Amino acid sequence: MMMNANRLVVVSKCVQSCKRLLACNVRHAGKKIQQVQQQRLFRTHCRQLAYAKDLFLGSLNKDEVFPYPEIGKEELDEINQLVAPVEKFFSEEVDSAKIDREAKIPEETLKGLKELGLFGLMVPEEYGGLGLSNTMYARLAEITSLDGSIAVTLAAHQAIGLKGILIAGTEAQKQKYLPKLASGEHIAAFCLTEPGSGSDAASIQTRATLSEDGKHYLINGSKIWISNGGMADIMTVFARTEVVVDGVKEDKISAFIVERAFGGITSGKPEDKLGIRGSNTCEVSFDNVPVPVENVIGEVGGGFKIAMNILNSGRFSMGSSSAGMIKKLITMTSEYAATRKQFNKSLSEFGLIQEKFAVMSLNAFIMESMAYLTAGMMDRPGLPDCSLEAAMVKVFSSERAWICVSEALQVLGGLGYTKNYPYERYLRDCRILPIFEGTNEVLRMYIALTGMQYAGKITTWKINEIKKGNVGLAISMLVKRMMNKFSSSVDLGLTGKDGVVHPSMTESAKMLELNVTHFGWTVETLLYRFGKTIVDEQIALKRVADVLINLYAMTAVLSRASRSITIGLKNNDHEILLTNTFCSEAFFKNNYMIHQLQTHTPGNSDANIKKIAAEVLQDRSYICAHPLEGIY
Amino acid sequence: MKSARCLLHLQCLRLLDRSARSAAQCAPLLQSSSSSQPSVLHKNQHQLLRQFHSSPAWSKSQPTPADDHKKDKSLVTNDDLFEQVAKDVKVKATFNKVVDVFLNRDVRRRGHVEFIYAALKKMPEFGVERDLTVYNKLLDVFPKEVFVPRNAVQRMFNHYPRQQECGVQLLEQMEEYGVMPNVETKVLLVQIFGKKAHPVRKYQRMMYWMPKFKHVNPFPVPVQLPEDPVDVARFGLARIANDLDAKVNVYQLPCTDITETGEEITIPHVVGIQSPSQMELLAKHNPNRPVFVEGPFPLWLRQTCVHYYVLRADPPEEKVEEPYDPERSLYYPLQLDVDFGRDLGDEENFDVEDLDEGPVFAMCMTGRGDQATLNQWISGLQENNPMLGQVPTLFRVNAGPQELSASADAESGQAHRPDTKTRSGEKLQRDGEPGVIVEEEPQRRQGRNQ
Repeated sequence: MMMNANRLVVVSKCVQSCKRLLACNVRHAGKKIQQVQQQRLFRTHCRQLAYAKDLFLGSLNKDEVFPYPEIGKEELDEINQLVAPVEKFFSEEVDSAKIDREAKIPEETLKGLKELGLFGLMVPEEYGGLGLSNTMYARLAEITSLDGSIAVTLAAHQAIGLKGILIAGTEAQKQKYLPKLASGEHIAAFCLTEPGSGSDAASIQTRATLSEDGKHYLINGSKIWISNGGMADIMTVFARTEVVVDGVKEDKISAFIVERAFGGITSGKPEDKLGIRGSNTCEVSFDNVPVPVENVIGEVGGGFKIAMNILNSGRFSMGSSSAGMIKKLITMTSEYAATRKQFNKSLSEFGLIQEKFAVMSLNAFIMESMAYLTAGMMDRPGLPDCSLEAAMVKVFSSERAWICVSEALQVLGGLGYTKNYPYERYLRDCRILPIFEGTNEVLRMYIALTGMQYAGKITTWKINEIKKGNVGLAISMLVKRMMNKFSSSVDLGLTGKDGVVHPSMTESAKMLELNVTHFGWTVETLLYRFGKTIVDEQIALKRVADVLINLYAMTAVLSRASRSITIGLKNNDHEILLTNTFCSEAFFKNNYMIHQLQTHTPGNSDANIKKIAAEVLQDRSYICAHPLEGIY
Repeated sequence: MKSARCLLHLQCLRLLDRSARSAAQCAPLLQSSSSSQPSVLHKNQHQLLRQFHSSPAWSKSQPTPADDHKKDKSLVTNDDLFEQVAKDVKVKATFNKVVDVFLNRDVRRRGHVEFIYAALKKMPEFGVERDLTVYNKLLDVFPKEVFVPRNAVQRMFNHYPRQQECGVQLLEQMEEYGVMPNVETKVLLVQIFGKKAHPVRKYQRMMYWMPKFKHVNPFPVPVQLPEDPVDVARFGLARIANDLDAKVNVYQLPCTDITETGEEITIPHVVGIQSPSQMELLAKHNPNRPVFVEGPFPLWLRQTCVHYYVLRADPPEEKVEEPYDPERSLYYPLQLDVDFGRDLGDEENFDVEDLDEGPVFAMCMTGRGDQATLNQWISGLQENNPMLGQVPTLFRVNAGPQELSASADAESGQAHRPDTKTRSGEKLQRDGEPGVIVEEEPQRRQGRNQ
């Protein structure tokens, strides 16, 4: 009996050590390859680590996002000094209702904006700008967003219009153009979209041909929906050029700095829009516009990368601007809710009204947290690639902004629907947010596919390794899966001894950890299931993006609230409350979506959705018989 | 609702009948109770009155005299009735008139079964074969109450089988023409045959299935096809193409001219259809590989058969995949750089429609299937498809459609014949034997159209 038991113990020990050995081996190999992969992946980027991408592997790179980024006292003073006059200007001198009514920003308002330096926020000081960091830019965007038209005009000018010169221009180009752009003497525009080309760069028709003397390019074509198109003096124009690659002539896109003074540029009638009516959007046509060769931004044929970089870099500020808008709306509507009485009770005593305010402040809090976390990450030394994070901020805040503005309007009921109050204008203005700077649909694809690509490299390696006969890896993966299936809690290091999250939010942190682990596992499953055809599984990818956005939002609020409570900011208990509320809500949503991502689960009605759409689209109309119809 | 109420009335009437009260007594009662149900019940009332005159007992116990019987029952008489009354115009009104004449001729309605059979046969001639009111009127010819079984034995056996059969036959014809009975039909059937008789059962089955099948065809063909052959061609082509983007082009309108010498020249219609995606396919077609004009293929639109021709090519030898352009999408990658494809469990690629039969570039219908006419079509197509000028066009055309449709029209029972003929011709041609029917003439379109 004793003997037997002993033997059993020995055997089990042996097995365990074997397992450990194998696992060790595997982990080691895995790490190595991961390093190799990362090196290969990030050769173009300076930063070695990426938070959002790592979530796709189920790992939580806490050093990236904890502690929450801070700015020093001097910077804080500086930004406060900047903010005060701008805030004053917007509350006293900007008549948003008039701008909206007349669909034009008055000259004196524009002049005021220029005097405040708002046209050159990100331009370095040596070129006459304010040289603000991303964080400070985000802070100012909170205020400029109080008027949608002005915000869009400014964004079109500096977030995309002059960004090309800023990030890829030569010193001479910068010297020549930036000072006047920074002062607002010249206004910039970004000309990419064409009648036949939205996201599809291959269908860009505008063409730049080299003149015979080789000194000029002649640009021909037309661009649509150009913000500031009617008043811009300097434009970043993307056009096809003929480039010789390896002896073969190819059409590639190049970016040009085009001055209106070059001649041959005509702008169409401003578009009559739903919202942001004061901003100038129109068609711009180019008819044999001569552009000197030295006005090419970057290399000839390198326009695609420049366009992508400009678009990717401009998005992060939408979080803070939406938050700014919602904060203002909360102040306005809570005033009304507190004074308006029904049944001898003020509106603020009704649960359904209270819920609206909770939703608004929760969302404002999350947007703020995400926006400043991203801005802080972008401000780190080197040129970190935060395009994934920025895209998440954009998608989240643009959608939540619409919900919040709509709720704010609802608090006022019929009054909110009239033009006597600004709510309908805010509602119209913020409808553009999910559309421009990349529609939320394409951004969701970007978010999901970028991560999938990252995770796919590692999965490919694993599969190849197993094919080669690495049994250890296979077993370790199997064991990991089993553990995943049966464990209800995981430790990714957010709490506990080396924890970064304040103990008051331990539960929320645990939820995040659990979600991250399951998410990584789900991504792996999806990759195994669909392989490279995952690009066609858009409904699944949308869920992947949504889970990731929630995870990032959870991280941001956890990080921010932990900092607040640790350093003792005012009302930090309220932040904790908001954080815990959001985290538990997001946790269940994530679980549901992750569940839907599994094969053939009851909650997953993707096949039905596709079928419904196919049947409707085939007839191009609603196909059900009218309920009043019968067969007689 | 209506029917239920009617049935109720009916039962009450039957009770009255049984108690053998006089008709005069019950008429006012009926009048008051049926004021809310004008059409159906008024009819009931009349029938009822009439029915009291000829009670079932009477008709059963006293068989009609033989000579009378013969005269009335013969089919010829009833056919004659139709011919007599509706000498010139055969329309609904005259048909109704015939029925009325029959009704007024003999209060006992002797020979009604034969009359109904004859009327059913005549219906298409009068163009009322799809008219529900006419069917109801015909049903109304049956005497009411007489054939309703009254005891268990009658119910058990086939009570008045000829009459029931006749009623079923009437319903059958309705079904054949897709006419759905209504409540009035039901009331009549119940009045005539009783609630569980065969015709009522037939009615119930029809009401179960016919509504279910009414819209089951996602591509319905209208009952009345347009008269104009161009419109028929338009409809037929749109039906085969089943593409909302496809555009129908009339390349040539039909017309008849008389030349100076007195010869009659008919120009056939040429109607074609092509969708933008087909144009795209054609533009991408390898000019060294010929395109074929093939046909005629039959298309049945209810009773009419039309023929169409297709412009197609052989399946491409190898599928050319467009190289992935990483600088295509401004916002997200269109392709993942991952080594593996779909897992077996999620492989849903099999598609019965995805067959390598080669692309079809356009289709047409024409009044005459000779090559000259089809050339009209091809040169018309060339306006929007310049590629056709560079591609050799081969005509693989079988016997013209006139002959085929003539045979098809002559006997609809042999509808499949033209089809098999076409097929065999095709097969011959595929084998490389230049058969008699096959007319193959490679030519450079470019040269012709200059």
